[in-house]
Parts: sequence; C-alpha cells; structure tokens
Amino acid sequence: MAITTRNDMATAPNGQPYERNEVGQPSFEVEIDGHKMRAYEGQTVLSVAVDNGILDIPNLCNDEKLEPTSACRMCLVEIEGAERPLPSCNTPAVPGMVVRTKSDRLKGIRRTNLEMILSDHNAYCQPPCQVGCPTHIDIPGYLELIAKGQNREAARLVKEVLPFPYILGLTCPAPCQEVCRRGLVEEEIAICRMHGFAAEQCMDDPPVPYVQEAPTGKRVAIVGAGPTGLTCAYYLALQGHYCKVFEMQPQAGGMLRYGIPEYRLQKDMIDKEFNGVWKLGVDAQYNVKLGEDFTIDDLFKEGFDAVFLAIGAWTSNELGLDGQDNPGVVNAISFLIEKTEGREQPVDDTKEVVVLGGGFTTFDCTRTSLRLGAKVHTVYRRGRKEMSATFEEVEDGENEGTDLQLFASASRIIFEGDKITGLEFQRMQLGEPDSSGRRRPVPVPGSEYVVPCDTIIPAYGQKPDKAVLPPESGVNWTKRQTIETDPFNFMTARDGVFAGGDCQIGAATIIEGVAQGKLASRAIDAYLRGDDMKAVSRRIESQERKPDLFDIVPYKPVEPKVKMPMLPYEDRKRNFRLIEMGYTQEQAEREAARCLQCACPAVGQCDLQKYSIEYNLEDNRFHDGEPEDYHDYEYDLSHSFILRDPNKCINCTQCVRVCHDVIGPNCYGMFGHGFDTIVSTPFNASLFSTDCVSCGACVQVCPTGSLMMAERELVRYDFALDRCIFCGDCVEVCPHGALGETPNFELSFYNRFGRDINIPMDDLARAPSFLVRQRVPRKKEDEPLGSNPLVRPLPARRIRE
Amino acid sequence: MPDTAAYRLLSKPGEPAPVSVDAYQRQGGYVALRQAVTLTPGKVLDEIRTANLRGRGGAGVLTAEKMDLVARSAEAEKYLICNAYDADARSLISRTILAQRPHAVIEGMALAAYAIGASEAFLYLRGDKALAEIVTTALQEARDAGILGRGIFGSSFVFSITLAGAEMGFMGGEESTLIQILKGRPAKAQQRPPYPTEYGFADKPTIVQNVETLVNLPLIVARGGDAFRKQGTALTAGTKLFTVLDGNGGATLVEVPCGATIAEALRAAGLQVNESNARGVAVGGMEGGVLPLAQLSTPLDFEPVEDAGAIIGSGILEVLPRNTCLVHWTMERMRFLARESCGKCVPCRVGVKRMAGTLEGIESGVGAQGDLVLLEEFSHYVPDGSLCGFGVNAVRPVVTAMKYFADDFNAHLNGACPTGTCLPVRAHRYATKHVL
Repeated sequence: MAITTRNDMATAPNGQPYERNEVGQPSFEVEIDGHKMRAYEGQTVLSVAVDNGILDIPNLCNDEKLEPTSACRMCLVEIEGAERPLPSCNTPAVPGMVVRTKSDRLKGIRRTNLEMILSDHNAYCQPPCQVGCPTHIDIPGYLELIAKGQNREAARLVKEVLPFPYILGLTCPAPCQEVCRRGLVEEEIAICRMHGFAAEQCMDDPPVPYVQEAPTGKRVAIVGAGPTGLTCAYYLALQGHYCKVFEMQPQAGGMLRYGIPEYRLQKDMIDKEFNGVWKLGVDAQYNVKLGEDFTIDDLFKEGFDAVFLAIGAWTSNELGLDGQDNPGVVNAISFLIEKTEGREQPVDDTKEVVVLGGGFTTFDCTRTSLRLGAKVHTVYRRGRKEMSATFEEVEDGENEGTDLQLFASASRIIFEGDKITGLEFQRMQLGEPDSSGRRRPVPVPGSEYVVPCDTIIPAYGQKPDKAVLPPESGVNWTKRQTIETDPFNFMTARDGVFAGGDCQIGAATIIEGVAQGKLASRAIDAYLRGDDMKAVSRRIESQERKPDLFDIVPYKPVEPKVKMPMLPYEDRKRNFRLIEMGYTQEQAEREAARCLQCACPAVGQCDLQKYSIEYNLEDNRFHDGEPEDYHDYEYDLSHSFILRDPNKCINCTQCVRVCHDVIGPNCYGMFGHGFDTIVSTPFNASLFSTDCVSCGACVQVCPTGSLMMAERELVRYDFALDRCIFCGDCVEVCPHGALGETPNFELSFYNRFGRDINIPMDDLARAPSFLVRQRVPRKKEDEPLGSNPLVRPLPARRIRE
Repeated sequence: MPDTAAYRLLSKPGEPAPVSVDAYQRQGGYVALRQAVTLTPGKVLDEIRTANLRGRGGAGVLTAEKMDLVARSAEAEKYLICNAYDADARSLISRTILAQRPHAVIEGMALAAYAIGASEAFLYLRGDKALAEIVTTALQEARDAGILGRGIFGSSFVFSITLAGAEMGFMGGEESTLIQILKGRPAKAQQRPPYPTEYGFADKPTIVQNVETLVNLPLIVARGGDAFRKQGTALTAGTKLFTVLDGNGGATLVEVPCGATIAEALRAAGLQVNESNARGVAVGGMEGGVLPLAQLSTPLDFEPVEDAGAIIGSGILEVLPRNTCLVHWTMERMRFLARESCGKCVPCRVGVKRMAGTLEGIESGVGAQGDLVLLEEFSHYVPDGSLCGFGVNAVRPVVTAMKYFADDFNAHLNGACPTGTCLPVRAHRYATKHVL
C-alpha cells in the first residue's frame, strides 16, 4: 500500500466516527462481489479483496512494495457509481463502496489487454519442436551451435537424447518440423537434416554425450539390434551397465538396415554410426532368434539381470484376398530384406507391380521397384492427406515414375491360370470419422476397375511376431498384438523384462522407437539400482507430460529456407545412389541461423503466460502486419548478472519502480512515446554504465522473462566476519531477505541458490579475515573467487577486542 | 471580417493589446484583484459559483466546484497550475491570450490562488521562446508593481508564479502528465482517482486550470457573477475561444458566446461552409469527432457537442475540404494518436495502434467487413480500458466517422476510394492466427 492518504482518520467522509478494530485501526464496510467485508483506511480495493480471499483479480504491473501504476489494466473492477472500470490496485477503498470483480465486460477488457500485449510480444515460451520431438532434443541449442560452426558440440548435444543423429537426420519423418514456428514466418527449418549434417562432420570421431560411468557389474540382455534396442544399449552402457545385443539377422540395424532402401540411407554410414555403440563396450550376437535359438529364461540363466525386448514388427499385414498365397504376391518386408541382402529379386524390368498402402514402407517398395526397372502402380484407399508417408516422399515417388492412385481398394486378384494378370479395385470415398478420428473409406458401388499387373506388394503395415513369446515366457500380449507393458516404465508382466519400440507400440516411426529405447534405458537403470518401479513409472510420466505452452506468432524478417540439394530425378533411374546430397558448411550455418531460438527461461514463472492460458487466448487477431506493427529489439547481455531482452518487456515498469523507490540507483526508465514506448536504461546503455548495484531486484519483480539472472559461478559472498558487530543493518536493508537473523543470535547468510550456512559463535572467532567491500575483478579469470582472499587481509583480531 | 461583438477575452483587431502592466491597468486591470483581497476567499469563490463558469480545458467541469475541493482541504500547502500548453499544437488559444494580455492571466491566477488558499503557482506553457519572453517580462513587471510577492495590495496575501515550459507533444497538456513533468518524473499519465485536487504537485492538493478559464476570473470578480452569466447559455456562461482551420492552411481565432452554433462560429471566422466546399467539420482538435454539414446547427456547448459524438476539447473547428476521404482522415488521426499516446497503459499504447493499422488496411484496399466490427469493438475497449482521458477520447474520430460517413468505409471495402484521393499505405492486413 503506497497511496498517501491524509491523516484525518477521526471521521469518515459521512461525518460519522470510524468503527475501529481491537487495535484501533479505523475500519469500514465495503461490498465486493456481493460479500460484505471490512476494509481499513488507506487500503486499496485490491488489497481488501486479497485480504478477504478474493485472489483471482489478475494483475501484471502491481507489487505490494511499489507505488501502483495501473499500466497493465488487468485488475480493472467495476465500482458502482463510476463511469468506467477502475484499476483495483490504485483505487482506495471508501466506506460503502460496491465492487464487482467479475463480469463479461471486465473479462473482455482483460482478454483484449492480453491479446494486445501478445500482439507485440516478440518472444516465445518453449520451443514447440523440442516438445514435439519424441526424444526432446534441445533443438534451439544444437541449431545455435551449428550456426556458430561448432558441429561436434552440436552432435554431442543431440547424442544426449538420440544416439544416431546421422541416421535419423536422413530417415526421421521430423515431427519437429511440422510444428516449427519459423513456419509462421515463411517456411520451417530443416531441423532434422541439421543434426544429420552435424553428425556427418564428425562421423570418424563421434563425440560421447557424457563421460561413461564406471562399470556397475550389472548385465542387460537386449533382444533386437534395431534403433530401439541399440538406443537402449547405448544409454545403459553409458550408465556403466554391461549390455549384450541378440539379433536374428546377420547384421545390426533392424528395420534401419533391412527396411530402409540404400537410396535413403547408405549401409556403410549405418555401420559407422553404430560404431559409437560398440565403442562403449556393447557386445552383439547375430543370427540368433528369440523363441527358436533361446528363450527369456535362457537369458536369466546366463546371468543377465534384466532383459529388454525390442524385437520390432516384422510380419507384414496380409492382403486378405483369395489367392494371396500365389508367388506373385510379395511380402513387403521380405522384398526389402532380399534387396538389402542382395538376393534374387521378384521384381525386374519385365514386371508390372502394384504396391498397396500409404505409409513409408509402401513408398520404399514403390521406389525400390522403380529403381529395379519395373512399371509401378501405388494404390491407397484414402486420400493424400491421410497418408502417413511424408509429402516429400509421395512427391518423390510420383516424380520418379509411379502411377499413384487414391481412393481405391483392392477387391479381387485376377488370374490367368496360376499367373496373376491384374488386380481389381473398387473406388472409395471418405465416410464419417471413426472413434480414432480417421475418416474411414467406404466403397462406391459399381465402380470396379482392373489394373493390369503380375506382382502385388501389399504394404499395409506390420505387426510383431507373436509366436516368439509364448504364454510360458511370462510376457503378455495386448489385443492389438503388441507386448503389454507399463506405459511409462516399460516393464512387462514379468519382473526384469522390459519391452519397447515397434513391438510395444505397434509399427511406428524410428524416432518413436528411439525415444522408447531412451526411456526404457532410464527405467532399466532404475530397476538395476533397485528403485520402486511404480515410482519410476510416475517419474517418467511427469517428465514426459506435455507442458502448457503459450506461443505467439513471431515478427522476424523473412529468411528463405536453404533447400536440401537433391539428386535430379533423371539420375535416380536404375541405381540406389543417396538422393539427398547434403548441405555444405556454409549452407548448414545459414539454415541453422534461421532458428528463432524459441526458448524462454521464464516458462512456468511467467505471469503473462499464466494469464494467457487462464483467459484461453487461443487466437491473436493482429499478426502478419507490416514491420512497423511490431518491435524487434536487440538483447543486452553485457551485464554479468542481469540479462535484458526488451522483446519480452510488457512495460509494467515494476523494475523502474523497484530500482528507483526501493533500491535507489534508478537505472531504468520508460522511454519513447506512443506505440514505441519501452522500458530501458538511459540511452539504452549497458547496465554496466548505470549505477546498477547488481542486486537483482528488477529480475525478481519482472513478471515475464524480460529481465533474467545470468547463471552465475559465484555461490557465496564472503563476509569480514571478524569485523561484524551484529548490528543487523545488512539484514534490514537487503531487499531480498537474503540475510536473516537467527533467534540465537548467530549470523546466518544465504546464497541465491538455496544453500544456507549457519556459523556458530565459536567458528566466528576463526572466521577468515576477508574484507566485505572488496573490488571484484571484472574478468572472472583474473582471480579465482571463493577460497582465496581477494584483497589484502586485515591482521587477525578477536571479535570482541 | 470576423464578427467581434462578443470579444471579451481577445483584443479586437486594430486595438492595441494591453501587454504591459500599465496598459492593462489603464483598461481596468487588477481592479478585481485589488477588490478580491479585501473579501474573504469564500466570497470570491461564491462569485465564481454564481457566474456558473465551466472549465475551458475540454471537460467542462464547474470551476467553482473543483476550486471548492481544494479550498476545503485541510492541507496547508496547495498549488495552482495554469495550463497554457495547447496540447493540440494547431490551437492558437493559449498563445494568443498570453501574447495579448499576459497580465489578465496573472490576475486570474492570483484570484484563483486567493480563492483556494494557495500561494504558489505554475504557469505551464509550450517551449516557445518568444512567448516565454513576453510572459517573463509580464511576471517581472507584476513583481515590480507589487502584484506578485508578499503583501499584495496591502493584504496578507502571498503569491508567486513560476514559469514552466515543456515540449512533450500532445500528452504534455494532459493534467496528470503535466504534474508529472513539473515533478521531474517521466511524462506519463497517472491514474485518477486520486485526483490532483487531493494528490497533485508535491503530493499536495493541486488545482489545474486552463488559461482560458483563469482569464475569465478578473471579469467575473470585477463585474460580478450575475453580469458574467448574461452571456452564453444556461448550461455554460461566458464566451469560448475557437481556432477555426479553413482546411487550406489558414487559421483564425474567434471568440463566440457559449452555445453559438458551429455555423455561427465558422461565420465569425469569415467562412461560408456548404456542400460545395466542405464534407464536414472536425470539432475538438486531434481527439475530436467529425460532424457532417447537417450537424452544423449543433450548439458549441459541452453536452450538445458530446451528444453529437465530438468534444469541445482543444477548441478547434476544422473544415474538411470537399475532397476529403473520411477513411484517410480517420486513419491519419489514429496514426497521430498512436504516436502521441504516452504509452503507459496497454489499451491506449497498443489498442490505438491496432485501430490505426486496421484503418490503414481499409484505406489500402486490403480491408474486410470484419474490420468494421473490430473497430466497433475497440471503440468500446479502448475507452473502457484506458488510464486517462486521452484513451477515452482517442476513439472519437473513428466512432463519428463510422457513424456519419459509413459510405466512405463501405466504398473502401468495395475497392474504391469515394474521393479517389487515397493511396495504399500497407500491403498486409492483420491476420488471425492460432497461437495456443
């Protein structure tokens, strides 16, 4: 409460004496939201409301230790008799006042205020790419590193959560790019290709994300050397556990090697990137199949402490038509495996092939068949939008020569003797959305037509092979034919047996498999350390919970996307050369520099974010205007402790007031006028050039992330304890209560990061003799802070000399 | 030739202006003050109340009531501020009064100060060197003549005037902003309540009066409130000054009795306004509204003008030439206001800017029907949400233009400017985006 009121408390404005409470404070009655409550002379409407439990009046510019300014207009309330709504933070309560804090009009004003603030709030909460990525890579982080040319560090950062940045860089469907906020400016960033680029630059000497732990003596068996299994092995090995991978194929990689054709990902590069796993001491055994060559019991008998099942989904869904056992009907996965193994192909340039489906496998089969010289038709039941393959994949398939047909479903195989001569289709149209939200196609009667062909590749998706884990293995299957586990700690019904990847979620993307491998490694690590698995499940669940984000559309100058150089279509015929030719260093730096760095350290503590979510501000009507409609300010990171980002400033002037009224140096002011008003330092100088005392009070009051504390090395200030006379002045003046008196008259001091120290009286006598008014060297490297005296020590004295 | 029959505050053309203290006293100056110091302050205040004088600053508050609030205050320290700033720089009112009869202002200030019990006052004007010199000379003359200082005219009344100048744009004339400027704080408006009458300069009761209001006080005290009331209407007594802009760069200051119609005021300035040479008249300065020619019979008094959608405001009557497109006119007004807002509160800082941007879209031919709905919504949001009178009145150009000249807006939305004078100013209109 900072409103000055006259000291004439003897009579109320109506001439009657005030009613006083037990300590003599004059009080009167006001009505807020229909409740009668007592207010005291000098209180504002807001403080009366807060005292009486009405806590939902929003405000962005008020702080009880500051003089109210009423700039944010969020705390407006309707007062009977007043023409317009008045700000409760600045309106004194008077006897008999009738106040309403909620109404449609107030809600509308508050909501529009937030919309106004956000329409010129050139900043972001959290990077949606990082939230959208199943493994949550620090995308702004590594893009910044690439833009600075630090590719190896970028690859290291990615490897903290994703061990195969190169492979994923070429094969990931990139859910991150779908939500990239650069797309709101012009086009999304090639986020995914970027980590591929970084990893490629250091492929011969790959970085390790962090130092490998000492061996723990625990042994983990991992069944399946696909992306999920190897990811799990990688992180478990980093934790110091011994891992051995069992693989049914002759080489590691799973679907990465056998499902993804050479033109998308070259096999020798897979081997190179997998070297990072083997280097950590992970063993592998090939050509052994679960259920045929060994069982889970065998693994435990061999002395493994935990088993991770990442057996993938290798059984193709069947065509479901009469005559599907004909050799002309080719299994999609077998087809791709045989190509990889270099065995005889069922497809060559004499063949006419129909590939059925709309996923990645469909197009892998289509484009492999095309490269083998066949004439190819790709047919899907639904439309282009419903395809799970990416738009680029479909476009490339068409440009390479396939005949894409949509809204058609295979209804009958046509034979001539036992040779297939064609496939009959029925036209489809989309019906009502089903329970999963996907619109089911329904046949159009009488629309049958025949596509001539001799080979049919149904690529409708895959399922795990249920036969490898019979009921006696102790592992249960779900109705969807996937392995049943706890959804977050990935443990199956059998203790110590975990499962993840395609066999647990059903055929999914590589990145989802990797994410599961990473989370499963955490769960297995916790299991091996003896943690309660229920608690582990809860922990992972809370880590993976999607945060409430509030983002606004950025204003940034348009910076066109650097297109990935691709192999021309005519050069793709009859060969399996990699179609993505890769970025140059210069291109990569330019593309990475387009990142908007949508990361705000104030997320979760930001009042603007809180209210925007509370007021459900889903849309903003003022985007995409002209450059002069928005501000794009420079950051000021020159001060050692206080970082300023005026783009996030909402002109609440709390920092101005706290610096002027409470602390005193008066470093900030409100400058400019009209729309260009901004809180800044005089002449927008560095805080270093002001009288700033680095107290951090401005950071503490900032309702957004406009003012932030820099991370600091300093954890503790030294006192000249031998000179302390316990006057308590420091305690009195410290604006943050960082110093406190303890009841038994010991001096206690706290540092900013929560560690506090109490010094008993005896120790005070032995306290180091440092001066408190020491000049801290400007350059941190000049002198180490902490144990060494920074200035001339005083001669040792006893406290009460 | 302007009609000068009603002139009481202005010198009639051809007559020498009483700039010096001697000239002023020869014309009967300082008689009122000499008389007032022999009366009690309450009597002086009663006379002003009888005169039914209303503040000329734009809001039309009863001067006596406002003075009474300060006079009744128990605080010993009180201040008077004479606002001679002319927020709308095109207005001639304050500068003409000060240039023609600075001593009338000094006398008016002394009378007001005597009535409320203040002994210190500020004379606050725009940073105009020539004007400041005239006022400085006048103040020195008054001090030398014993009219300012201690023991004025043999009484115990003590009074001094400090001259203050500022160049703070439109907002420099806003009451709470000018107090901030005098306090040495940033020129930003302050929330009222608390009003300056209880919490003003130096946190003491302060009365801020327009120079035109104060210059009426010597007339009232010398001739009596009843005599003063004979001119004007029952609502508002006395005369009012208006700056008439003819739309071609010419400006004339006229004095008309309160309640004269717009057409009469224009005639007093020698203008014959009709369909052939004008589209409308903007009343009230930069924040005023635009009225069509059909409304020229509106009496120039606070309430009738406000009912029509405009304000007395800065006392400017601006004739809009025949080829004015009202969309363009409104857009320019809002662009100006978006620049001139003090930028403190959100609705005014950003809201006015977004209204201007929407109008730019309409002017540039990229507007949509929804823009009018948005402007309608914001013409409630900005006044309801804003901190000071600036935001409350900032929407008047939009509201009146959309009310009286809706055809101009519709023509623009259909792709044509009604007068063919508008040029595109922006390529992109605001778009709604999903952000959560």
